[in-house]
Amino acid sequence: MRAATATRSHAYLARPSFTRAAVVLGGGAALVVVALLAAVAIGSVGVGIGDTAAILGRRLLALPLPESWPSSAETIIFDLRLPRVLTAMLVGGGLAMAGTVFQALLRNPMADPYIIGTAAGASLGAIAGILLPVLLPALAIGAGTAWLGLGVVHLFAFVGGLLSVLLVYSVARSNGRVPVVTLLLTGYAVSSVLAAGVALLMFMSGRALAAIFSWLMGSLASASWSGLAFAAPLLAASFGLLLVRWRRLNALLLGDAPAAHLGVDVEREKLRLTMLATLATSAAVAISGTIGFVGLVVPHLLRLTTGPDHRLLLPASILYGAALLALADLGARLAGGIPVGIVTALLGAPFFLWLLRRSRRMSGTAS
Amino acid sequence: MDTTRLRALLFPSLLALAVAGCAPASSGSPGPSLPGSSPTDAVPSDGGVTFPLTLTDDAGRSVTIPADPERIVSLAPSNTEIACALDACEQLVGVTDYDDYPAMTADLPEVVIAAQVDVEKVVAADPQLILAAGNELTSSSVITQLADLGYPVLVLYPEDLDELYADITLVGRALDAEAAADDLLTDMRARAQAVVEAVAGAERPRTFYEVGLFEGTIYTAGEGSFLASLISLAGGEPVTGDPLSTSLQLEDLVAADPELILLGDAAYDRSVTAASVAARPGWDGLAAVQSGQIVPILDDLVVTRPGPRIVDGLEALASAIHPERFE
Repeated sequence: MRAATATRSHAYLARPSFTRAAVVLGGGAALVVVALLAAVAIGSVGVGIGDTAAILGRRLLALPLPESWPSSAETIIFDLRLPRVLTAMLVGGGLAMAGTVFQALLRNPMADPYIIGTAAGASLGAIAGILLPVLLPALAIGAGTAWLGLGVVHLFAFVGGLLSVLLVYSVARSNGRVPVVTLLLTGYAVSSVLAAGVALLMFMSGRALAAIFSWLMGSLASASWSGLAFAAPLLAASFGLLLVRWRRLNALLLGDAPAAHLGVDVEREKLRLTMLATLATSAAVAISGTIGFVGLVVPHLLRLTTGPDHRLLLPASILYGAALLALADLGARLAGGIPVGIVTALLGAPFFLWLLRRSRRMSGTAS
Repeated sequence: MDTTRLRALLFPSLLALAVAGCAPASSGSPGPSLPGSSPTDAVPSDGGVTFPLTLTDDAGRSVTIPADPERIVSLAPSNTEIACALDACEQLVGVTDYDDYPAMTADLPEVVIAAQVDVEKVVAADPQLILAAGNELTSSSVITQLADLGYPVLVLYPEDLDELYADITLVGRALDAEAAADDLLTDMRARAQAVVEAVAGAERPRTFYEVGLFEGTIYTAGEGSFLASLISLAGGEPVTGDPLSTSLQLEDLVAADPELILLGDAAYDRSVTAASVAARPGWDGLAAVQSGQIVPILDDLVVTRPGPRIVDGLEALASAIHPERFE
């Protein structure tokens, strides 16, 4: 519980120096660019770096370059890799920022974007979307277009995530207040019920189990421009609306009562922050499944290095979350298409442990 | 996610045919169709199909193949076997890591590894036709993705012998190999008919086909599945599991009291034997165990892979169920 106590100390809330902010954000931006280039240029099929650059120049900047590559290379770079990498970045940024918000809001170091029911609700929605055409074949006949229509899965996951958080929030509310502990416990209880539904549907799912499994593990394999078009505006809006709320998040870190003394309309602000972070999470989950770890650990990594001021923490979490997930997905692709959640946990967790131990030794605290 | 489901996931081929029909099968067999052509001009010139050709696949999708495909990707071993049986082995430019028949397909470029379709590799193979499998054997998101990229993706998911015949006809049209398809079907039909005649009038033993036993969960032929229909054709009365999960509880197995146990999993796991089955707790009262009617099916691959060799599987099943009629 070190983070929870440490974040209450005022020394932690000292304004970050301009140099430190420039280093953190500049480094994050550079990492995003490197991750973007590497993840687009590298894949299971080799496309030369020159061709990759030329294809991107032609398609994105409309440069009049001669086509010296097979059309399959253009499809791979522009229709498969680029939307996939951009999806990874949006999702990674969205989850990391939502995790930052929930950790501050709930004053709980174990909080991640899924903690108050988003994951369970989105999973139930997505699985219902996957199974609907299987259980009711009449729906799938005739359309002839999307078999087990992918759009339905996106939409159900998104709505499922939002609805479950709304449910949790309204159940946790009493006398117009939502105590943090009640919110956490309600989230846990509702998630358990929804998870039972998920398990039941999985048991009955037959062959669709593979699709459900890959969704639950989180996968960017089916990323597409249309998925991006759905999620990008939602994520961009929540990025913008959350970034400007850094001051209120800093105040809420101190506790509900101190925040109220600082002039924050605590209950209203908690609802807004919860809904904005849930919007980002649901949009991310809808196009990628429940990718774990990023939303839990990126905020901690950054807090260990930059301190808890949300003015710096929020934009940094977007940048580092984006870069981390894009690189993790590159690793997942190179490892034969394993779920990206395995890579984030396998590489990220030991790194996190190392950083945690190192920072403890340096600060000399024992907890 | 418990180990049972994980292991079931890791052995996709084991469950391939044990699943009942969950694909949105259209009414009747999914036959080819040529929209816009009246019955009079639907007669093709000798051995020729007119391209572009529009077909309806087993998922009810309308698929247009622009030209006689010279480069084909197969996303399932059964599809590979169908293509090769229609003399199109040479046109295959991508297969799965499970492919082993005919032998040359083991050396073809792999675009499906550990049941994961590598979409980049499919695109790099530049296929003019992709043969996918239905009911999530090929993930539906991959099918959508490939179709959205503009490739003709034909989804095959036969749920019984007649639907397999229809699929062979369908692929025959897609590959402009209708004569080869007709020859193959004539042979398959004759052999299947011979089996049906050989077992006609015989007692039909209650037959339990063990697809697998993972952590206490029993997997068998799902109700209404291809495997169940094959057991019926081979002269047995199939003991079936849940149509979707293909699993069966031990109580239900005891209640069904099979007179014959066929061990499909013995083909992959040498520790599954008549003796090991008899030693399982609760199994010793089954009629088949009491009478010693437990037969390993080492041809499981042929029994459960819905390709042209399924008639070999049917013959193997029939001779296991009615050895007296195949001496």
